[in-house]
Amino acid sequence: MNAQAAQAPSGQRPPGALTKAFLGLGRGSALRTVIDIVVAIVVALAILTIFFLILGADPGKAFKGMWEGAVGNNIAFGQTLLVTSPLIFCSLAAAIPFSARIFNIGGEGQLVAGAVGGTAVAFWCAGLPGTLLIILCLLAAIVAGALWSLIAGLLKAYASANEVIVTLMLNFVAALLANYVINGAWRDPIAPQTETLPSGSALPTILGNSGANIGVLIAIAAAIVCAVLLYRTRLGFGIRATGLSPTAARLSGFGTVATILAVFAIAGGAAGLGGGVEVLGNHHALVEGIASNYGFTGIAVALVARLNPIAAVPVAFVFAGITVGANTLPATTGVSASASLIVVAVFVLTLLAMHVIRVAYPEVK
Amino acid sequence: MSDSVAPARGAETPAPAHETVVEMRGVTKRFGSLAANEAVDLQLFRGEVHALLGENGAGKTTLMNMLFGLLRPDEGEIEIRGERVELDSPRDALAHRVGMVHQHFMLVPDFSVAENVVLGTRSSWDMKLRRRDVESSVAEVADRFGMAIRADQPVADLSIDVQQRVEILKLLYAGAEILILDEPTAVLGPVEVDALFATLRSLAEQGAAIVIITHKLREVTKIADRVTVLRHGKVVSRARRGELAEAELAEAMIGHALPSPPEGEARPAGPAIIEVSGLTVEGDRGEAAIDGVDLELRGGEILGVAGVEGNGQVELCQALCGLRPPRAGSIVVDGADLAGSGPAAFSDAGIGVVSDDRLLWDVIPDFTLADNLALSRVRAGKYSRGGLLNRRAIQRDAEQLLVDYDVRPPDPNALMGRLSGGNQQKVVIARECSAKPQALIASHPTRGLDVGATEFVHRRLVELREEGAGVLLNSTDLDELLALSDRIVVLYRGEVVLEARADSLDVRVVAAAMTAGRGA
Repeated sequence: MNAQAAQAPSGQRPPGALTKAFLGLGRGSALRTVIDIVVAIVVALAILTIFFLILGADPGKAFKGMWEGAVGNNIAFGQTLLVTSPLIFCSLAAAIPFSARIFNIGGEGQLVAGAVGGTAVAFWCAGLPGTLLIILCLLAAIVAGALWSLIAGLLKAYASANEVIVTLMLNFVAALLANYVINGAWRDPIAPQTETLPSGSALPTILGNSGANIGVLIAIAAAIVCAVLLYRTRLGFGIRATGLSPTAARLSGFGTVATILAVFAIAGGAAGLGGGVEVLGNHHALVEGIASNYGFTGIAVALVARLNPIAAVPVAFVFAGITVGANTLPATTGVSASASLIVVAVFVLTLLAMHVIRVAYPEVK
Repeated sequence: MSDSVAPARGAETPAPAHETVVEMRGVTKRFGSLAANEAVDLQLFRGEVHALLGENGAGKTTLMNMLFGLLRPDEGEIEIRGERVELDSPRDALAHRVGMVHQHFMLVPDFSVAENVVLGTRSSWDMKLRRRDVESSVAEVADRFGMAIRADQPVADLSIDVQQRVEILKLLYAGAEILILDEPTAVLGPVEVDALFATLRSLAEQGAAIVIITHKLREVTKIADRVTVLRHGKVVSRARRGELAEAELAEAMIGHALPSPPEGEARPAGPAIIEVSGLTVEGDRGEAAIDGVDLELRGGEILGVAGVEGNGQVELCQALCGLRPPRAGSIVVDGADLAGSGPAAFSDAGIGVVSDDRLLWDVIPDFTLADNLALSRVRAGKYSRGGLLNRRAIQRDAEQLLVDYDVRPPDPNALMGRLSGGNQQKVVIARECSAKPQALIASHPTRGLDVGATEFVHRRLVELREEGAGVLLNSTDLDELLALSDRIVVLYRGEVVLEARADSLDVRVVAAAMTAGRGA
């Protein structure tokens, strides 16, 4: 048969419902998004209630404890903000590549790379005045994250390596490299972390005794920059065009290689900055396991926010609140704090299920 | 009823041989304020091929979707074999032996023909455990209706026309006797159309009632026993075979006389814009789909590329816009050899493209009309300063273009995917023509369009020529090629076997070259 006909079946193959739902997460009206999120919260709470009842815990007490643990007082609120900022950075690291239909699962490793870069500059330039030192450290974190991410970018662009596998694997490499410097050259004699950073490098705190720092403001600024980039620049136009139709983007001349490299650099820069903020603002040292699953939870945040960088900010806050609030569960109910993972998982799955339903039954409102 | 109903002798007093199997009476369907169908009456007889003719958006598919249980009529009733029916789903329709083949096939590419055919009628266990039985029962049905299909082949390996036959077989296997085909020929070349029509004819002779939804007059006169013409949701004409000529059908369909093909004044062609020499391009399987072709596209001419589909036209056009880097040869534009460069280089050299697969290459369905119109211009940096987009300029230009090119709706913020095929094509034409290209590579620019939109596209192509651009027109429609082209080349197995001025050319000579590779 002729070439065109032979090509057609694969070209016309409709994506499965799940794929469509995933792609659909980047679209749709704001109202629908809000409705979906509210329904998902209700379903998640309902399932969690059942879960508490099965375990013999008092759901009312548990939820009240979670609420107070997340936003009940200034310190709780500060803790939630501390978790919010890396989640925002990691959600950007997912949202930008996802918009180009490129799946970066490497936020975790890119955050670690940024943390290592920031730490290195903090040690090397310890004598510089505070503000300059902070700026240099954060820039180093961005560059380190971007370079790390570009390993996967270059492999995809020039060797067609599958980015999911490469970024996922690089997470482990980054974590092990970080452990190497933590336990080697920069080791603190008594703790599984580097020596404490020079005091001038600490990020300024906000909200009094909350423990929060300007990292969350930097994260919000980064989200705004990413939103402008995605919706108001030529580069972002090309990224979204590539994501929605790689073929049409190619015919109109948007370079595949350039797009791939750009999204990986941006994603790595965002996650890397998150790593820098963690080091300078939160730990004041490079610690083992600094990524704390933020890279993966960030993907969930990005999907719930429908890949919109601005929407990622409130979503990240909610996710952070659930995570921090769940720390009260052992005290109030005797249930492990990892119950928060169940909440997040049910929440994301419910949202996804709603998209699948929408795709399968488009007439249902 | 409508104002200009032609006398419908056959419809009102069927001869005894005409056994009515479907009777739709006063069927009305509204979408919001729009009446997609208004008081439509339709009768189908056993053993006939019935054409439902109308422009895009005339309500043909809506009417048939009601017969197939996908939509419920707001008013009116449907009788099948004398029994009043309420169809809630395609399953209901199938229970009444009504089946429909949609424009976009509903086949599972990884499944075999047999698996696709029995899908939904047997359990998947049955399919796995009794594969041989299933395959032979499918093969038996295929044989009975004289369809040459191998039941064990994966559908992904089949060409479009065979896939279509699988769709028909699926319905026959399920026992359908009333077959509805939505634009069945849109995806087929001339040879495949003949084969399809032969199949339909033999099915009708075995007692099926067949409806084909179409806007192609040629097909109506060729295959249909009776035709019902819809315009704006109403029946405007009915006729039996031979009662109405193509021109009259066209008039009924579009509401005014058929416009004659646009003619620009013949002027001498200008300088060469694209010079192709020794071009060899690989097809998808590495074969030389274009083999050592020399070609010259001049300013102020329309160069028609004729050929049976699959003789290298797709590869040639893709090479000429940078999508398919050639294996050998040169493509010289403005003194620079662009062979091996990507689409950006071709676009920057002023070469516009209308591809053969609009939804794949030309438009982004989930982008707005404004963004689709801006696509290649944003890439070229036209709408940005320092990387920042000027959204207001994009919006403003889009509003103007949508009006100039009569796109409906003229809303720059509408999503491309929501538009009808004809309007999508107008957006593509608007984008490519308004860029003032020095050459346009147009593949099947009117495929799937109704008469009005086709005429619109033709006029724009002629305008481009008048303005001094070169147009390469790749089409399987010989009438279109001969009416528009100044010169015609015929591709046969990747080589140019005939090149001649169009006005001196006999259609039979072209046909011979296309099918047998014989040059003049």
